[in-house]
Amino acid sequence: MSASPAAFGAPKAPAGRDRKQQRGRLPAPQPHPGLARIALLAAGLGLGSTTALTFTAESASQLSAPGGLATFAGSLTGMTGTYLALIMVLLVSRIPAIERVAGQDGLVRLHRALAPWPISLLAAHALFLTVGYAQAARTGLWHEAGMLVTYPDVLIATVALGIMCFIGVISLRTVRRQLPRDTWWLIHLWMYLALALAVPHELVLGPSFVGHPLTRLVWSVIWAATAGVVLGYRIGLPILRTVRHQLRVVEVRSEGPGVVSVILAGQQLDRLPVSGGQFLYWRFLTPGRWWRAHPFSLSALPQPPYLRLTIKGVGNFSRSLAGLRPGTRVAVEGPYGAFTRYQQRRRRAVLVAAGIGVTALRSLLEDLPRGSAPVVLLRAARPEDLVLGTEVRELVRQRRGTIHELVGPRAEAVIDEVSLPRLVPDLDYRDVYVCGPEGFVAAIVAVASNLGVPDDAVHHEAFAL
Amino acid sequence: MKAGAWLVLGGAVAGFLGVLGLHRPATSGALAQNPAQTGPGRTAAAAGPPGTATGSVVDYGYGELATRVAISGGRITGVSVPVLKTAEQFSRELADRAIPVLRHEVLAAQSAHIQAVSGATYTSEAYAQSVQAALDRAHFT
Repeated sequence: MSASPAAFGAPKAPAGRDRKQQRGRLPAPQPHPGLARIALLAAGLGLGSTTALTFTAESASQLSAPGGLATFAGSLTGMTGTYLALIMVLLVSRIPAIERVAGQDGLVRLHRALAPWPISLLAAHALFLTVGYAQAARTGLWHEAGMLVTYPDVLIATVALGIMCFIGVISLRTVRRQLPRDTWWLIHLWMYLALALAVPHELVLGPSFVGHPLTRLVWSVIWAATAGVVLGYRIGLPILRTVRHQLRVVEVRSEGPGVVSVILAGQQLDRLPVSGGQFLYWRFLTPGRWWRAHPFSLSALPQPPYLRLTIKGVGNFSRSLAGLRPGTRVAVEGPYGAFTRYQQRRRRAVLVAAGIGVTALRSLLEDLPRGSAPVVLLRAARPEDLVLGTEVRELVRQRRGTIHELVGPRAEAVIDEVSLPRLVPDLDYRDVYVCGPEGFVAAIVAVASNLGVPDDAVHHEAFAL
Repeated sequence: MKAGAWLVLGGAVAGFLGVLGLHRPATSGALAQNPAQTGPGRTAAAAGPPGTATGSVVDYGYGELATRVAISGGRITGVSVPVLKTAEQFSRELADRAIPVLRHEVLAAQSAHIQAVSGATYTSEAYAQSVQAALDRAHFT
C-alpha cells in the first residue's frame, strides 16, 4: 500500500466476495427498496388522514350555512396543500436510507413535479376562505379580506403565502431561465421560512385542530420532526462529517484537456459510507468559493487517507478549480445517489459513459466484484477526451470484462438500437448504467427502453452543465 | 413508479377511511373553561327566572354558547348568555365583541332572524340558533 496519492493511478485488484479485503474499508450500507414502499404508503396514509380530518370537522349545518361550501373548500385546500408542502420538504431532506434507494435526482424530480400543487392549493385556500367568510358575513371580498388579517396569526400566514407565491412565480420555467441558478436557489430557500410562519394559524384557527387537542399534538409533532430531519440531515450530518474527516486538498493533477483530479487527504475515511458511483457536495473553503457546494462524483473508491474527484472545467467554477492550493480545507455533504452496484437487477451489467461521466463509471466499476464481466462503453469526441482511460481498461481487465471505446464525431460513433445490441449481444441479461450529460443519458435510456430493457434495470446519473 | 402510485393511492384511501372511522366529535372537555365566565352550567341553564326561556347549548366549533331570552308583554325584552366557553382566547374576544351586537339585533328584529356579525360567523349562527330554540320553548311567535 502506497502512502502517496499517486496510488490512485494504479487500481488495486478487485475485491472478491470478502469485502474486508478492500483496505479494511467498511462497506456502504445496502439500500432497502422496501423502505421506499413503506415511505410511499405512509405518504398516502397521511394524505388520506389529512383529507379526512377536514371532513370530521365539518357538519351538514355548517355546509348549508351561507358561505359554508366555500369555507369547507378553504379548509380542504389548506389542509391538503400544507400536507403536500410537508412531503415536498421531506423529499429533499436527504434522509440517507431514502436517498440510497431513490437517488437524489429521482427525489428532486419528484419534488419538482409536485411543486405546483401545494402552492396553488394554498393560494386557493386563502381565496376560498375569503369568499366563504364574505358570503357568511354578507360583505364584500376586500372588506372581508381586511377583517381576516386581523385574526390571530393570519397576517403572518398571509405574508407566508406571499413568499410562497413569489417563489412559485420565479420557479415558472420562463422566469427561472432568466435567473442565475444560485440566485433562484437561495430565494427558494425562503420557503422554509414561509412554512414556519404558516404553522401558528393552522393550529389556532384550523377547524380540524380547534377543540381536538390530540390532532393538534400529532400535527405539531409531525412538523417538529420534519424540521428535525431537515436540520439533522441537511446541516448536522454534513458538519459532523466535515469535522470528522478534516479533508484538505493535497494535489491537483491534470488528467486531460480541461480535466483535473483533485486529491484530498482526510481522517477516518474508512467510516465514510460511500459506494462506487455516488457523488458528494464539495465546498472548497477559500474566500471566493466557500459559499457554494458543488456536486462531483468520486472518481475512485476512497483509499484512506485519500479521496479523489475528477472534474471537467466546464463552468467558471470548475475551471477555477485547477488553481486550488494544496492545504485548502474542504467541507463535504453526502454521499448521495442511487447509481450503485446495489441497484443491479440482472446478472451482469453494461456501463455506458460519455465525457466526464466516466468518473462515476470508474468508481462504480471498481465496486463491481471479480468475475462480474462488465461491458464498458466509453463515448468521447476525441481520443484525448477519454480521461481515466488507462485506469478503466485495467479495472475491466481485472474483472474479465469487455471495453469498447467509441471515439469520433457523434454520427460515426453513435450508440443506438442497431449498434448497442451488436456491442452487447447479451443485453437481455444485463442492467444498463449510464452516466454523462443530460442529453446523452436521455438518449441511451430511450435506446435501452426501445430494446426492451425494463425500467428498473436502467440506472442513470446525469450531469447538468 | 406505477406500483408507487398505487401504494400512495391505497394508503390515502386507508388513511381517509381510518380517520373517519376513528373520529369522535370534539368533546366539550377539550374546550378551555374560562373562569371569568361564571355562568351556570349546562344543567342550570335549563331553568331560568320566570319570564325567561333558555335555549339549547350550541357547539359552534370554536366554542359553545347558550342564550336566555326574557319575554314580557309579548315582546323580547332581553337576551343574556349564561353559557359561553371558547376554545382559545381569540374566539373569546371575538364572542365578547359579537354578543352585544347580536343582542341588539335580536331586540330590534324581535326574532332570531338576524344578520351575522362579520368576522364572527359561527358565533352568530350559534347565537341565532340558540335564541330560536329559546323562543320555541317559550312558544313565542
